[in-house]
Amino acid sequence: MSTQQPLLAVTGLGKSFGGLKAVSDVSFEVMPGEIFGIIGPNGAGKTTLFNCLSGLLPLSSGAVHLDGRRIDGMRPHDICRLGLARTFQIVRPFQGMSVLENVKVAAFGRHPASADAEHHAHLALRRIGMDHLADLDAERLSVAEMRRLEIARAIATEPRLLLLDEMLAGLTATEAAALCDQIRRINAEGVTILMVEHSVPIISQLCGNAIVLNFGEMLASGTTRAVLADARVQEAYLGSAVS
Amino acid sequence: MLRRFLPALVPTLLAIAAFCASLSDPYFMEIFIMVGLIGTVAVAWNLMAGFTGLVSLGHSLFFGIGAYTVAYGQVGFGLGPLATWPIAALLALASALFIGLLCFRYGLRGYFFSIATLAFSEVAFLLVSATLWLGRSDGMMLPSSPDALRYLQFDHKWPYGLIIVGFLALTLFISQAVLTARPGYYWRALRDNEGAAEALGVPAMRYKLLVFALSAVVTAIGGAIFANTFAFVDPRSTLGVELSIQLLVFGIIGGLGLLWGPLLGAALLIPAGELLRNYLGSGFHGVNIVAYALLLIVLALLLPQGLGGVLAARLRRRAPEKPAADAKALAMEAAQ
Repeated sequence: MSTQQPLLAVTGLGKSFGGLKAVSDVSFEVMPGEIFGIIGPNGAGKTTLFNCLSGLLPLSSGAVHLDGRRIDGMRPHDICRLGLARTFQIVRPFQGMSVLENVKVAAFGRHPASADAEHHAHLALRRIGMDHLADLDAERLSVAEMRRLEIARAIATEPRLLLLDEMLAGLTATEAAALCDQIRRINAEGVTILMVEHSVPIISQLCGNAIVLNFGEMLASGTTRAVLADARVQEAYLGSAVS
Repeated sequence: MLRRFLPALVPTLLAIAAFCASLSDPYFMEIFIMVGLIGTVAVAWNLMAGFTGLVSLGHSLFFGIGAYTVAYGQVGFGLGPLATWPIAALLALASALFIGLLCFRYGLRGYFFSIATLAFSEVAFLLVSATLWLGRSDGMMLPSSPDALRYLQFDHKWPYGLIIVGFLALTLFISQAVLTARPGYYWRALRDNEGAAEALGVPAMRYKLLVFALSAVVTAIGGAIFANTFAFVDPRSTLGVELSIQLLVFGIIGGLGLLWGPLLGAALLIPAGELLRNYLGSGFHGVNIVAYALLLIVLALLLPQGLGGVLAARLRRRAPEKPAADAKALAMEAAQ
């Protein structure tokens, strides 16, 4: 593309559990400012890949660089501090905490004083349009609201790169559309986004570039349009009959 | 500001009132001393168990470190509390960091962490019980000294009660300050979901060590006060597993989710145990213990949230939103 340095560079990433290769030889680059997609059927290794990138799992091989700095092998909280935040596919708020307190936990990373953290937690909630729910017990939220809370927590760490893990799965069409708008807005505010998604229409709507995983291997990478047109992708993921 | 420290202030005021009420009778003062001392240690224990999800079954180790540091410091070196209390705190800090590093480094969680802490305290119990210069299982007396004030030796029990009021107040206020600041949020996040917390920038290891260290130091100071108050330490009462279990029971009955829950548990169960001993203890041998156990079972069945949990829910009921939502859900169910 350009001479610009990629924000995230993944080279030859592999992860095995015992003899089972969950992910092998995955390489891609995410440029600052883009929304990058990872597509793949269930069990393709998408979540494992995310766990490797965010430091929850050690890599078996390969390297991950964030803005030129090698981050694999670092602890998750250090990676978070360097500007990589993630959401979890299985959303679970911290129990016994209000929506605001949940986000405050994340905001404390950059704002050690309680009042500062609270202020920035409110800002994060406002960005995702749920500040009016701040004082609610987080466990009383609906599924769609919990997803947004998950994003609010992640952006409260003030990341440069945001990893979204299947944020739209199980939402109604309206909820999904609203969340897509919010993801776009966060991206427009300067946060680069790497998203795992099951649904092809959403990826093609949001992402300029994408890779496709199947059985832990990279089938294709490039612009989303080219990737989705790839014959192997059509066969493996969409089923061979899709035009 | 006042609102933030209310959970520390109210129990402190109640403790002062109880202290004043106990001044009339040395027997009451003795009960007040046990409630205040063990209750405060239980509060420190609960910072780990209730707020961070680290259930230690080996806190008697730190209590024993405090008690034996004071006893041996005086018997062996002629040191008074001014020297022995800080040494006790440092020794407890070092032990907590050592055990914590070992447990957390290898990812011990849940029951495994509890059993590991229990093992450490049992080893200490056996070692001390077999060590000649620590008095073996017979324990050690702290000899009375002509320089009474330097060794905190008083003719009456009430000055110890006063010290314990201070210990209780300090522990409650420090705990509440920490719980309402960053560490408290991080601890609760770690208790609930360590992976998610770490991904949100919570340094798990550092904050688990922090709560362990704080809890251990307070517990050791409690042990030190115990030694000075009773002028006697032995492995059974300061290092035994009974003490660790007591902390657990006070926490569960009082309410684990609350700063003052374990204190409430102690304030209820220690006098209850005394009452049962007085009224039933002279009869059939052991019947008071059976009654105490029954009391625990009934309380645990009736109040799964702990007594404090019920009280806190009562206080919160002023907010009308929750019952309204419940009523709505009921109405919808009825309509279907």
